[in-house]
Amino acid sequence: MSDRFDSLFGQTLAILFALGLGALVILTVDESPARVFVTLLNGAFGSPERIAGTLLQTTPILICGIAACISFRGGLFNIGIEGQLFMGGFAATLVGFSFNLPPVLHLALAMAAAIVAGMAWIAIPAFFRARYKTNEVVSTILANYVAILLTSYLTINWFKRPGGQSETPPILESAYLPELFSFSRLNWGLIIGLVLALAVHFFFTRTARGYAVSEMGANPKFAEYGGINIGKLTFLVLIASGAVGGLAGGVEALGVHHRFMEGFAPGFGFDGVIAALLANGHPIGTIFTALFFGALRSGSLLLEVDTTASREIITVIQALIILAVSAQITIRRKASDSTAGERRWKF
Amino acid sequence: MSFAIELKSITKRFGSFVANEDVNLAVERGKIHAIIGENGAGKTTLMNVLFGLLQPDEGEIWIDGEKKVLPNPAAAIAAGIGMVHQHFKLVPSLTVAENVFLGMEIRKGGLIDHAAQIRKTAELSKQFGLQVDPTERVGLLSVGIEQRIEILKVLARGARTIILDEPTAVLTPQESRELFQTLRGFVAQGMTVIFISHHLEEVMEVSDTVSVLRHGKNVASRPTAELSKSDLVQLMVGRLVSFDRLPRGPIAGKTVLEVEDLWCRDERQLQALKGVSFQVRAGEIVGIAGVAGNGQTELAEVLSGLRPSSHGRIKLAGRDITGRSAREIRAAGVGHVPGDRLVRGVDRNASIALNLLMGRQDQSPWSRHGIIDRTYLQQQTKALIERFDIRARSPESTAKSLSGGNIQKVVLAREFTGGADCLLIDQPTRGVDIGAQESIHAEIMRQRAAGKAILVISVQLDELIALADRILVMFGGTIMGEIAGDRVDEEEIGMLMAGVVPDPHSQTVDTV
Repeated sequence: MSDRFDSLFGQTLAILFALGLGALVILTVDESPARVFVTLLNGAFGSPERIAGTLLQTTPILICGIAACISFRGGLFNIGIEGQLFMGGFAATLVGFSFNLPPVLHLALAMAAAIVAGMAWIAIPAFFRARYKTNEVVSTILANYVAILLTSYLTINWFKRPGGQSETPPILESAYLPELFSFSRLNWGLIIGLVLALAVHFFFTRTARGYAVSEMGANPKFAEYGGINIGKLTFLVLIASGAVGGLAGGVEALGVHHRFMEGFAPGFGFDGVIAALLANGHPIGTIFTALFFGALRSGSLLLEVDTTASREIITVIQALIILAVSAQITIRRKASDSTAGERRWKF
Repeated sequence: MSFAIELKSITKRFGSFVANEDVNLAVERGKIHAIIGENGAGKTTLMNVLFGLLQPDEGEIWIDGEKKVLPNPAAAIAAGIGMVHQHFKLVPSLTVAENVFLGMEIRKGGLIDHAAQIRKTAELSKQFGLQVDPTERVGLLSVGIEQRIEILKVLARGARTIILDEPTAVLTPQESRELFQTLRGFVAQGMTVIFISHHLEEVMEVSDTVSVLRHGKNVASRPTAELSKSDLVQLMVGRLVSFDRLPRGPIAGKTVLEVEDLWCRDERQLQALKGVSFQVRAGEIVGIAGVAGNGQTELAEVLSGLRPSSHGRIKLAGRDITGRSAREIRAAGVGHVPGDRLVRGVDRNASIALNLLMGRQDQSPWSRHGIIDRTYLQQQTKALIERFDIRARSPESTAKSLSGGNIQKVVLAREFTGGADCLLIDQPTRGVDIGAQESIHAEIMRQRAAGKAILVISVQLDELIALADRILVMFGGTIMGEIAGDRVDEEEIGMLMAGVVPDPHSQTVDTV
């Protein structure tokens, strides 16, 4: 219990540290930090439309964050969620405009396509990690670039809407993810994200398989000794993470854009990774950190209208949070390494 | 006679644990001085004190006849002491010469004088017979050459006394022989070498003098030529006083575990097991004795499915389980208490309850349809804490909050209650206090009475004498001999542990 409190306290400290240093940066451009933060809050939560806008931004970050949580808990780092999201979005769109099917079926098929595309995109890094211990951080990051450029190439050269910009034809309404309110594009994707967070939390705390994944992440040698097949489980965890990453893309395509275009999702995958990191790999915590990043994004829209600060201040704050969180992880690791009395026979 | 190093009455404590107790050590100049002892005897702590990494609680350090205080390694280096650690600290992307001079670069006009560094490295390499190419990148080199670079680093810093901490642990036999030659070259040039090891053969081969540490004390310092291998073993393991053979009934049943001509390799791809065969019956405790590093750990790992065997057969209750996975072997009825309990035995950050769950999370009644039954887990955890006398505040206490003895009891509680017919217990009481030792031994005896086939591996002979019905002595990956538990002869075991087959007709070994 106190561990959880410690980590909650630490994460709050990380956010405060980032906001504090961010304030200093704002001062250097002769703007008032208070005014910037109030504008951000106002932009994010100032009206029902703005709250819906914030939740709209939160949705993909949340789903990507859950994808990251799944891999983090297994001691793995899927940093390729951005790429899986692009592939998922593209696959969902392809199904969305190519077939003419009854509403629910069409939507289900398009979602399935997104999930499969996400899994396919992580399959190669997952296989090499499971079989040869190839560093998945590097391979999944590299796969991002391939995904972004490949979907862009396919969009422009194969599936471009006649006369349009670099975008595909629109998907049919039968594949739309329904909207929640009339005044916003906020859609069922948010509900999917929330349910997913609860489901993943249940998986890790209540199921035998979730226990196996957690122990593999905490101490792989212990898991191996207990009879857990590390190679197989590593592959499955990464595939599951990729599936959720693909799903995030499907939700974006079917719920928001209703087509696929260049620059389809600017950095949602990376924001998801940070949100999961800040939540310490905890799916419920990720709901709140995703909301925080969603609010930053959506609040920043008003920033350039109402103040002289640039929207890029958001990027600065995010970078500072990463810095604070990784510093914490390092410090904690050092602290737990120096418990000398517990390994007395190694002297 | 002049001493390069004199340690006088060094005592070093970690909390309540005494790592070095009143250690006196005199190292003669121009000699190779070996320090030998079991894992945990206090060798590394003593050397860290000498190298300024740890501060002694009591005692004095004299170097070249002068009393010194060494607050940090820099002071030790300034006093002419160099240390080559077990784990190398090299930068793979830099060249050999850059690594040798890292942190003390030769400069010319504010820039690094690479030519001079390369020249100096080549000179040192030639003077001391440590062949390296100064311009090669370290990342591309073998472990043996990396060690040479570590030694060159020490030499470049002006060391006259070099400490090597288990230098052969990472080397192949060929590389070890080359290292020994280099060390002899050092002393021929008037330098002093301190060589830490737990391998008897090496110590006999390379050292002039040997000091034996046991339980943190220096129990003997003698010229190597005056000692035989079995003398060394007896000094290392000590007299057999602490435990008596525990009372027991007759062995109950038929053969459960059968091992036939088992071979396997270790991490360096060297043969760790070379044709091991034995059997364990139900209600029998078979002990495996031997100096650490003679294949005992690998034997436990192969038997529990964590390490592949290259040849041979393992049968459990008549069924062939050779080459099965750890999971299958567990399911077939083998419990395993690992030797490195903090690495393999527990997840230190998880609760006692979750540590007890490992290996049976898929089994009813621990879980149903893949969902863990938390009520059952709680009940069982409470019951096991009670039954195994685990001293913990609550079932939710993390493993790392427990003492060594109580962590071991958690492991036993898990492995002894999984319905296994065969128990592999590697170092049952290493790092465990006396009180916990007794209760762990009593629990093992209860398992024997319950008809389990038990294999106990231990580097503590007295423990094996207390527990085992038969003791098998391992040396160099083979079983040197078997001794009945009620007829243990110290000398005979000592000789077997040293790799000597005793001659029944003569008494050639002089006792200590």
